[in-house]
Amino acid sequence: MDSLITAAAQALASGDTLGALKRVALRDDAPALALRGIAMAQLGDLIRAKALLKSAARAFGPREAVARARCVVAEAEIALVSRDLTWPPKTLEAARKVLEAHGDRVNAAHAGNIAIRRLVLIGRLDEAEQALAALDPTPLPPTLRAAHELVAVGIAVRRLRTHAARAALDRAQLAARRADMPVLMAEVETAGHVLSMPAARMVLRGNERPLLLAEVEALFSGGTLVVDACRHVVRAAGAMVSLASRPVLFALARALAEAWPADVSRGALIARAFRGKHADESHRARLRVEIGRLRAELAGLAEVSATKRGFALCPAGAAEAAVLAPLVEGPHAAVLAFLADGEAWSSSALAIALGTSPRTVQRALDALAGEEKVQAIGRGRARRWMSPPLSSFPTILLLPGPLPSD
Amino acid sequence: MKTSAATILREYGPFPGAERVHGVTFDGRHIWFASGDRLNALDPDSGEVVRSIEVASHAGTAFDGEFLYQIAEDVIHKIDPKTGQILSTIPAPGNGGDSGLAWAEGTLWVGQHRGRRIHQIDPETGKILRTIESNRVVTGVTWVDGQLWHGTWEGDDSDVRRIDPQTGEVLERLDMPEGAGVSGLESDGGGCFFCGGGNSGKIRAVRRP
Repeated sequence: MDSLITAAAQALASGDTLGALKRVALRDDAPALALRGIAMAQLGDLIRAKALLKSAARAFGPREAVARARCVVAEAEIALVSRDLTWPPKTLEAARKVLEAHGDRVNAAHAGNIAIRRLVLIGRLDEAEQALAALDPTPLPPTLRAAHELVAVGIAVRRLRTHAARAALDRAQLAARRADMPVLMAEVETAGHVLSMPAARMVLRGNERPLLLAEVEALFSGGTLVVDACRHVVRAAGAMVSLASRPVLFALARALAEAWPADVSRGALIARAFRGKHADESHRARLRVEIGRLRAELAGLAEVSATKRGFALCPAGAAEAAVLAPLVEGPHAAVLAFLADGEAWSSSALAIALGTSPRTVQRALDALAGEEKVQAIGRGRARRWMSPPLSSFPTILLLPGPLPSD
Repeated sequence: MKTSAATILREYGPFPGAERVHGVTFDGRHIWFASGDRLNALDPDSGEVVRSIEVASHAGTAFDGEFLYQIAEDVIHKIDPKTGQILSTIPAPGNGGDSGLAWAEGTLWVGQHRGRRIHQIDPETGKILRTIESNRVVTGVTWVDGQLWHGTWEGDDSDVRRIDPQTGEVLERLDMPEGAGVSGLESDGGGCFFCGGGNSGKIRAVRRP
């Protein structure tokens, strides 16, 4: 490495991004391009950063496979942060193998971490979880360790395992403190909000109160029958029935659970389930049919019994019934509710689940995307929608120095 | 050209607080090495760092018998090892692309890393007196017994080579073992080279043939 590259790398490592840039701004050799790319990424100019890293990877000589692989990893991280999911994961895997083969365990682990973050981002939680379990975080320096633990937090939160999330968050905090990077510490703190702020509302016996994520977890594992309006499922004692594709049945279940232990009149049920149309004889007939279907779906979890004026929910085993609802229920809340499961949804699947037209769903998604409440991946028929990860990834880029002799 | 495997006689470091070695020189008693923001004096017998000078030290280091020369960014500082004072500063010939510094017969020799050449410069003014082309990146330069040696390090490959100071022709080559790169080179005036080991934080004593 030469003098200015060393000086620039040193500046970059100490957080002096502009100082690093100043030293190599006018140079176009491979290590300078790489450093400029990383500095630009840290300054938030991801497009420029990507172009610089691409040319750096090209400019490194054939003997400099490790340096080139590090540029590829940096490029992959930028693609991830800028939500460019068309970036080929195979290229990242190839770079990871090169780094591993050359004994660069830190950067190899970093590459593995990026691959997992990508899986979380595209809603492939099972694969992400497996990969996370297979990755040994021990060789990671504090900054990368913190990033790694934040991924674990993100997965645990989505899996509603708050103890695991809390433990990962503590480890992330410890690592961030060790790294002594204020930006990273702030990042971890923000990620922690998801555990300390209300995550949903619960309606029980006509009373409503906000619940923390841990309380939601406790609610699910307790004996209560929960009509979960965040995921459009009914849960009880470990069992779960999804009504995601049965919007009418879900509306009925929710109305019944909100009123529990009281009953709900036929008129009110018809208004809720059939969109406010006033009740006539044909609606009453349809209500009977739908209640019959709901009974079948909830078999074993709860009874739906007829009363004088309507119907009432009777959870199995004399348990309580409650409704879990999102904190805010606005015009597009139902769409957000489905996306809250962390999976990647197609708009047609959402339309089926919501019982509305694909056109309506598309409008809702466009509006939500405009507010950055949802994000799309893929194009055309392969396009999928999801909510932004609950626990964010570090926005500061943690690229390890992609220098030949670094 | 003679080619042989380098024989490593001894390894020093890594040293806490000096994780990388960017330049190496020898004042007859101590090995001085540049670690980014400090110059460290290492006792070759005990293997201990005995003192250090706080000064920017990003690449090659040299000793002229009385003073230290140290490349920092795109300049070369002349430093009094007794006080740690910077006495004077001249521009580096590679505009910051410099790597490797040696003193010989009243002039400084500066390696230009990716420029793959070695400049001989006037230590008072920094004026380039002449330039020798190499076919490898230069990561360290030293003179010993009228022989000009330089280190190379590209990817996994690193060696120490003697070149003809007139033509740049490679006369002899010592291949470093895998994983042992050379960043900074100095001879002890006798049978041994001291090689900086870059990010390994090590300094290796290599037998001079």
